[in-house]
Amino acid sequence: MAKPHRTPAISFMTCLLFVVLNTPSASAIPAFARKYQTSCQTCHIGFPKLNAFGEAFRLNGYRMPKETEDQIKLKPVSLGADAYKRMWPRAIYPSDLPGQIPFALNVKMASVYASSIDDTGRHLTKNDFQFPQEANLFAGGTLGEHMSFLSEVTWAENPDGSSPTELERIHLQIGSFIGPEHLINLKIGKFAADFADGFHEMWLSTNNGIDTLFHFNPIGLNGGAGLADSGGGVSLPSNVKGIELYGVGAHRFFYTVGAANGLGVANGNSGRGSATKDVYARVDYKLGGMALDGDTTGVTLPPENWRERSFRVGVLGYHGSGKGTNFPFTDSAQNAFNVQDKNFTRGGVYASWFFNDLNVFGVALTGRDHLDTFEPGGTLTKSANYRYRTWFLQSDYVIVPPLQASLRYENVSPPDRTAGSIRALNASLSYFVYVNVKGMVEYHRDLRNSKNYDLSTILRFAF
Amino acid sequence: MTRVSIPVLLLLAIPAFAGDIHGKVIAKGMRDSSDAAVYVDSIPSKTFAPPTAHARIDQKGLQFLPHVLPVVVGTTVDFLNSDSVLHNVFSPDACADHFDLGTWPQGQTKTFTFKKACFAALLCKVHPEMEGFVAAVPTPYFAVTSPNGSYQINDVPDGTYTVKAWHPKLKTATKSVTVKGATEANFTIAK
Repeated sequence: MAKPHRTPAISFMTCLLFVVLNTPSASAIPAFARKYQTSCQTCHIGFPKLNAFGEAFRLNGYRMPKETEDQIKLKPVSLGADAYKRMWPRAIYPSDLPGQIPFALNVKMASVYASSIDDTGRHLTKNDFQFPQEANLFAGGTLGEHMSFLSEVTWAENPDGSSPTELERIHLQIGSFIGPEHLINLKIGKFAADFADGFHEMWLSTNNGIDTLFHFNPIGLNGGAGLADSGGGVSLPSNVKGIELYGVGAHRFFYTVGAANGLGVANGNSGRGSATKDVYARVDYKLGGMALDGDTTGVTLPPENWRERSFRVGVLGYHGSGKGTNFPFTDSAQNAFNVQDKNFTRGGVYASWFFNDLNVFGVALTGRDHLDTFEPGGTLTKSANYRYRTWFLQSDYVIVPPLQASLRYENVSPPDRTAGSIRALNASLSYFVYVNVKGMVEYHRDLRNSKNYDLSTILRFAF
Repeated sequence: MTRVSIPVLLLLAIPAFAGDIHGKVIAKGMRDSSDAAVYVDSIPSKTFAPPTAHARIDQKGLQFLPHVLPVVVGTTVDFLNSDSVLHNVFSPDACADHFDLGTWPQGQTKTFTFKKACFAALLCKVHPEMEGFVAAVPTPYFAVTSPNGSYQINDVPDGTYTVKAWHPKLKTATKSVTVKGATEANFTIAK
């Protein structure tokens, strides 16, 4: 991963470029709507943002809480009668397959007007029809009594003519395989780690993800100064390849612990590869509203299933090592160096407050990176710790069900103090033509420079 | 005497002393309410000889037909293979002696006698998704529910009985029913 030392303004320009070229994918999975013959709104406030039931459905391994046979309208294909359970291990444990091919497609088209400042201070504008911008092929369903799966293949069409295809996610989930129901679940594969539950791009109402959280680059000759050109994953990984345990206890307590490939070849970086594993954890508690396992005992919920009065709060942490992975840099005198992120730690607080039509949520996170700087010959020239702080606050509001608004403020205080803080605003308005057809207007602006912004008009549909 | 005895015989023949039990079983959480076996449980000091005629389960279209077959204990069941593929029938249940009838081709029949009260699962080793049930119950008073849950057990002598509703996937419900003519008994069963 080549990373020349850049000024903050240029870094932000590349950030804008990143936003234009790499808008995140998001999930609305009509395969589930078909299986249960139910509307997207059963699980989504407006796709892809989940409501409380959708969150319980997701955590329950893509099954309805306390699911009964009559809720599954497309009868699964039996791979073994139930009575075969009594034959195990003299026979293979019975399972089933989804009753239809569990595929779904999300399509996104965008008209992007982007304004930025280049190296020389020149004002550049760009108005691009990205029709389509990307398509996401989802597959999701259950396998037998305890297993489930989710995958997403994204095909993007970039303005430069390239059309990369990426297997963004694919994982197998084993739910409640031991102990009380909901308490112990296992995920293995490439997935959106649950430390980002509630603010991962997959479930955001906005088109843009939270770049300051997932794409800040903390690596530099004096610590990081701006956002990553591409890939990200150094501050927090958007998706991980790993193993995760998670669960819900006493209806409202959530935990997750995981181990994942960290910096290295697996994340597109040069170096020693993923010999070491990153680890992460998160604990949460939800007060009020539907419980995290879908339990509603003692709670009166409004009939409008996007509404709730609840408060969820938790802490999250991530630790990894980038030892052996070189990030090339040149200083202002054109001297070349390699920087290694010997070890890094992230710690943060997440909170989400629902009050009827309003949802305010945010994360405050601090990062520490131990950076070793080497000359090209391998001589260690500097070894120091650097810290950065980042936070965002987002407010989503259901004006009327078809019309939903969102406003987000993002801030990063980089370790390289010469860079100054990065501040951004993201505002969007979504209109749902149908529950599976959505139009959006979204404005993203660098608050440090009024000419760094983009305005996107987006059409998304899922089927 | 002839003039007197004929009406008397006619009176004895009309069902004044035997009614029926009918009603509905609601199988909560299931796609429909079929396949519940409703039966009169054992009656103290009464035993019932099994019928000499065999009951029959067909294997057709890779299914056990009927899916649930109630029989009185001691009944012999014929398992016919009507499919063009080989079938097997075995039971994982001890109450059915873990029987395994082997494998046989289309048009042939194998038999098994259910000597004990049992809710025996029937499985096929050749087609693991196939599943059926024989409910061997102590009395000949039984019926299987239709998709809407309705059932009718005919020719039940008047009296008070324990009536049960058994379902392969749900908990059994029990009810005391006093039969006097046509008698209604409804059940709700759930997991």
